Amino acid sequence: MRKFTNQNGIIIFNQYRYTTMYTPKIFTLIFIICLSAIGMNAQNPAPGEKQKGTVLIMNAKAHLGNGKIIENSAIAFENGKLTLVADATMIRIDKRKYDLVIDGTGKQIYPGFISLNTTIGLVEIDLIRATRDMNEVGELNPNVRSIIAYNTDSRIIPTVRSNGVLLAEVVPQGGLISGQSSVVNLDAWNWEDASVALDMGMHLNWPRMFIPRFDNAEREEKIRKDMKENLETLETFFNEAAAYLKSTKDVESNLRFESMRKLFNGTTKLYVHCNFVKEIVAAVDFAKRHNIKMVLVGANDAWRVSSLLKENNISVIINGTHNLPQREDEDIDISYKLPYLLKTAGVDFAICADGSWQVRNLCFQAGTAMAYGLTEAEAVSSITSSPARILGIDSLVGTLEEGKDATLFISEGNALDMRTNHVTHAFISGRTVNLDNAQKELNKKYLEKYKLD
Amino acid sequence: MIRIYSCLALLLFSIGGIKAQETFPVNGTSDPKHITYVFKNARIVSDYQTVIDSGTMIIRDGIIQNIGKNLIGPKDAIVFDLKGKSIYPSFIDIYSDYGLSEIKKPQRDDGAPQFLSSVKGAYGWNQAVRPEFNACQNFNADEKKAEELRKLGFGSVLCTNKDGIFRGTSAFVLLADKKENELILEAKAAANLSFNKGSSTQDYPGSLMGAIALIRQSYYDAKWYQDGGYLKEYNISLEAINSQKILPQVFDAGDKQNEFRAAAIAKEFGINYILKGDGSEFERVAEIKALQQSLIVALNFPQAYDLSDPYDALNISLHDMKHWELAPYNPAILEEHGINFALTLSDLKNKTDFWKNLRKAIANGLSEQQALKSLTYTPAQLLNQEQKIGSLKNGMIANFVISSGNIFEKESVLYENWIKGIRYTINDPGMQDIRGNYTINIKGDKSYRLKVAGELMSPEFTIYQDTIPVKAQGTRISTLWNISFESKKKAPLGLYRLSGTIMKSDPIVLAGDVLMPGGNWSTWSASFDSTARIVHKSDSAAKDSLHRADVLFPNMAFGWTKLPVPKEVLFKNATVWTNESAGIIKNADVLISGGKIKEVGKNLKVPAGAIEIDATGKHLTSGIIDEHSHIAVSHSVNEATQSSSAEVRIGDVVDADDINIYRQLAGGVTTSHLLHGSANAIGGQTQLIKLRWGQPAEKLKFENWPGFIKFALGENVKQSHWGDKQVLRFPQTRMGVEQVYADYFTRAAEYAKLNKLNATLKTKNKSGFVPVRKDIELDALVEILESKRFITCHSYVQSEINMLMHIADSFGFKVNTFTHILEGYKVADKMKLHGVSGASTFSDWWGYKFEVYEASPYNGAIMHKMGLNVSYNSDDAEMARRLNQEAAKAVMYGGVSEEDAWKFVTLNPAKMLHVDDRVGSIKVGKDADLVLWSDNPLSVLARPLQTYVDGISYYDAVRDEQMRKENTAEKARIANRMNEAKSKGDETKKPTSKRIILKHCDDEEIH
Repeated sequence: MRKFTNQNGIIIFNQYRYTTMYTPKIFTLIFIICLSAIGMNAQNPAPGEKQKGTVLIMNAKAHLGNGKIIENSAIAFENGKLTLVADATMIRIDKRKYDLVIDGTGKQIYPGFISLNTTIGLVEIDLIRATRDMNEVGELNPNVRSIIAYNTDSRIIPTVRSNGVLLAEVVPQGGLISGQSSVVNLDAWNWEDASVALDMGMHLNWPRMFIPRFDNAEREEKIRKDMKENLETLETFFNEAAAYLKSTKDVESNLRFESMRKLFNGTTKLYVHCNFVKEIVAAVDFAKRHNIKMVLVGANDAWRVSSLLKENNISVIINGTHNLPQREDEDIDISYKLPYLLKTAGVDFAICADGSWQVRNLCFQAGTAMAYGLTEAEAVSSITSSPARILGIDSLVGTLEEGKDATLFISEGNALDMRTNHVTHAFISGRTVNLDNAQKELNKKYLEKYKLD
Repeated sequence: MIRIYSCLALLLFSIGGIKAQETFPVNGTSDPKHITYVFKNARIVSDYQTVIDSGTMIIRDGIIQNIGKNLIGPKDAIVFDLKGKSIYPSFIDIYSDYGLSEIKKPQRDDGAPQFLSSVKGAYGWNQAVRPEFNACQNFNADEKKAEELRKLGFGSVLCTNKDGIFRGTSAFVLLADKKENELILEAKAAANLSFNKGSSTQDYPGSLMGAIALIRQSYYDAKWYQDGGYLKEYNISLEAINSQKILPQVFDAGDKQNEFRAAAIAKEFGINYILKGDGSEFERVAEIKALQQSLIVALNFPQAYDLSDPYDALNISLHDMKHWELAPYNPAILEEHGINFALTLSDLKNKTDFWKNLRKAIANGLSEQQALKSLTYTPAQLLNQEQKIGSLKNGMIANFVISSGNIFEKESVLYENWIKGIRYTINDPGMQDIRGNYTINIKGDKSYRLKVAGELMSPEFTIYQDTIPVKAQGTRISTLWNISFESKKKAPLGLYRLSGTIMKSDPIVLAGDVLMPGGNWSTWSASFDSTARIVHKSDSAAKDSLHRADVLFPNMAFGWTKLPVPKEVLFKNATVWTNESAGIIKNADVLISGGKIKEVGKNLKVPAGAIEIDATGKHLTSGIIDEHSHIAVSHSVNEATQSSSAEVRIGDVVDADDINIYRQLAGGVTTSHLLHGSANAIGGQTQLIKLRWGQPAEKLKFENWPGFIKFALGENVKQSHWGDKQVLRFPQTRMGVEQVYADYFTRAAEYAKLNKLNATLKTKNKSGFVPVRKDIELDALVEILESKRFITCHSYVQSEINMLMHIADSFGFKVNTFTHILEGYKVADKMKLHGVSGASTFSDWWGYKFEVYEASPYNGAIMHKMGLNVSYNSDDAEMARRLNQEAAKAVMYGGVSEEDAWKFVTLNPAKMLHVDDRVGSIKVGKDADLVLWSDNPLSVLARPLQTYVDGISYYDAVRDEQMRKENTAEKARIANRMNEAKSKGDETKKPTSKRIILKHCDDEEIH
């Protein structure tokens, strides 16, 4: 590998990856940031190495993700796990015990944001077919698994995590049943390393149950017919799969049906994507009839049937707040206040930002919900503990609690506000995340070209 | 001229008899007839404003010989006594497709582009421009359809080929069962146009604005052709346009906004159009009246929705509901405003709904006189045929109907429709009204009560056995009545079958034979006792006019009942972001008055009558200006069919009824630059608007604005994502894009030179001189060369940005704005050098296509630091609602100061749009376009509380809450009315959801 040196002659990185110059005692992120500022690299930074020393972050405002905020916190982690989450004003801490102490005064610390319902790593450039790996052919693909196509080297990933998103659910798209999603951490060498929860969700796009207006009776009737057919297809498929899975005899294997086993035995959930109230009601009824755990995704109209969702313990993944109302007459701020409406109604919800590169704005989708009714702590929970709980990974991540993964980041200001979001440090299971990305590199390159700053 | 011609025709008609089909040979014995008919004792409505009671009309050879009171016809006349009956002129429909073949749907499925017309011959270049079509040459009488129309009372129609943009001439014909030669009253009665290219398979025009441009260019071409262009080429189409100028022009515009668009063309070329809309004129009736054009109005009132499913009902908008409720008032509202209009059968799904809907319109306030006028006199007058037809006067064509009474009353019956003196029976006029209560006596049996009720032409019979009603069957043929009923309770049980005739009238006695249940024969008679009370069937056309709901502006959710006006307002104690040298001032006051900013300072006094707003803790800024928007555009934002569409104008297709105008006001936007899309290298002319929600399109336009044009570079222009069939249009590479510009600007420069030269030539009035063809596409490019029109160019990668600046430099103009400009950071120094006025970019979009793979959220900050005038735009109806958040990303990515970041969405776009003298900052004398925010506007927590445009509060968060409640209540009220209509048996339709089409420059996403 070709080595590159900086002006001072120090070897700083090779052509293919950054190396973090790991010295247990002088483990400083600032150093790494300085290092990466020096040259251009067509590749993503290398994933952080396993945590070796102990880290203490002092005096930051800590958003625990569970609804609590510690104004002046002491947070420590070792071997990738949180060992201390405390109010710094209440305990005595011997800073000498830690290999690295980060002064968080005036800063804020958050559990790593978790983005549900993304296509990160499945698509690089939306309009180039060769880079699209999210939409398999056919209507019923329950056996298709997103993790297989997850590209850890997507240039999009570093741009997302540098705004605080450290975990993502990677979801296949299209058809009636798109396949199974997995949860990944956003700093890994390959999909095996990235995997946090494998094949944890089955994704179903509920058939549209309204008829778009074409002022053409024939065409509208055709759509009505297709809708009925789609609903029947789903019903039939679930019935057949259930029957197959009950079979005690030695029958010919069917991969599609086999892949439904986890759903029927309750180890995974069915993520139903739909937005209109009629579809939501039909989907809830469907899940009940088939005795399946359901999560609702999208859910613009969820507030209209909040009691139904609450009674059936259905969590809702709100597909962002930065949406237009889906009907001309609706309250103009309906998308902004949807999280608040669900909270008030007692429905469990999380907020996501779908897409790939767009996911870096997840924090601001939650921030907007804060402007329209959520408290700051609730807004933080909607992209930390709530998604973790829905994904079934809440024993590991989603909150800052002792014993959980040290997956967290530090921002200079409120991370939910674009006016103040500035991520300076990030850790995934204690591993230091390099916050550089291709765009920061380009910025540096051109600031240098123009002799700016 | 036409007047004289018609008078001449009348004269000819009245001299002696006319011979039918002079030129045709006769097979068999000839059968000449010249019979005089006399109609006496009739109530003659000779025109919409004249009634002759107990009058007489004499006709011969299809022409009215005399009409009046106490006239005596010749001895050889056939006389009809019409006592108790009425005569009206037969109706006229001037927007019919009668007698012409059905329009075929365009048949093209190869998916490849078609640049030119597929019609062979010396015609024009565009397949949708077919003025050479003459309906008279294609007219085939269709007796079946004619009969259908006659039954409704129509006697003549204008046959129009409803296909294409220039549709050629239409023929005015009679609805009789005769050879075509005798039916055509006026072979070329009108010329016809529309915005719809119909069966044309040619790509152009692919948009409404393209259709408008095509019409304008065609008129200019026709003028050029006449002035000498004919020396250069022979062009059948242009000749046809010129020859049709003297005809009435019927323009099928589509909807109300399109009627304004057609009227704008009419104004430009000094034409009068007879405008055909879709019945939504009432939504903008004041502006329709101001057009001073006549209308053709359809009676196709929308069906009620079946709202029984509450979830489906949610998808029916307030607009859908209000339109349903108010559309039947449209004719009445037009009448109230003194607008001249004809009624048409066109657009009715079932022509048989005509009477039902007409009566509904009358019940909703249309006067009977106006209804008659709009069906007789006005259509004739619009075709300059009112001396010939449409009234009943001496010498006019004998087209009339005979009815039982007032033709507009529900009970009335049309007996006959005479078409140019030929009688067509609709309902037997010999039918006597036998409705009433009778006593039936059957010899050898008991007596019964008989009730005859229902419609005159189809009475219903009920027999009472004591008090038990038994439904009886009654039929009639000629003068024979047949009544049968079954006796179920009283012996003898079984069927009574009666046959009889009217033995006596006044009072009526019916009598005849009866076949008894037992099989034996007897006789019966029924004598009239009393008049039966006629119970009208429930009729949805009840007197609705009494509670006519308000029309909203626009007629939809969040529309105004009354348009707001500017107020004098004092904002007290705000944090004021001036965007001026004063910077951000805390605890400051701002006074607005007369639509302008009057004072900025501290401790200002409240003028008498001014509204004082306590803005403590709040932030006041100038309104957001979105440099790149595609809201409020009707139809497509792209005329995507050619590499240059400089001739099209977004300003022609501004859509004032787009809810996104209101939604964006609620996001603090006050000015939006509506751009053509990016489908071609030279796009269309753009339009700057202010978000004056509720005002019609014309009043949204930013006044005294120089005019811009959209250019585009890169993947969209070279059709990278258009599929494998779209690979023929030049250019397909960035190399070709440069040549498109080089070629067009070279041509434009030469065109300008030629125009200047010709202006000074002395030979231009001499014969043989061919003037320069006015080219509205090149006109726009010449304006660019002369720095009178400015470019905003969709651009991504550095190579193409460089290229366009080189083109501009070599043709001596500046590229005003690069929009998107995601790689601007790579050539910021060159842009600065070139003198670009604006770099309008996204805050953080990237990755959606290859040419944005090197995009960076630091782009805006770098360009700003390089001294370029930078703005952030939306290109998206959603993002535009929170451009304040996007501005904050300039702080986040690149550390731009808050004060400067805020200018990215206010002052900077104002500068690049050349309107910073009017908007973009809080400065005394500038327009009072202001937003009051709950918080620092760059914060995610900030919410707009009030938005003002020209000092008018167009959005107010408190009022918005109130409007939501009103919308909900109004929908509930109308839903109940729809349900009433359904219960009354009106046909309803299943709810469908209006498709929301979100426009971006690349494409049109349908959600």
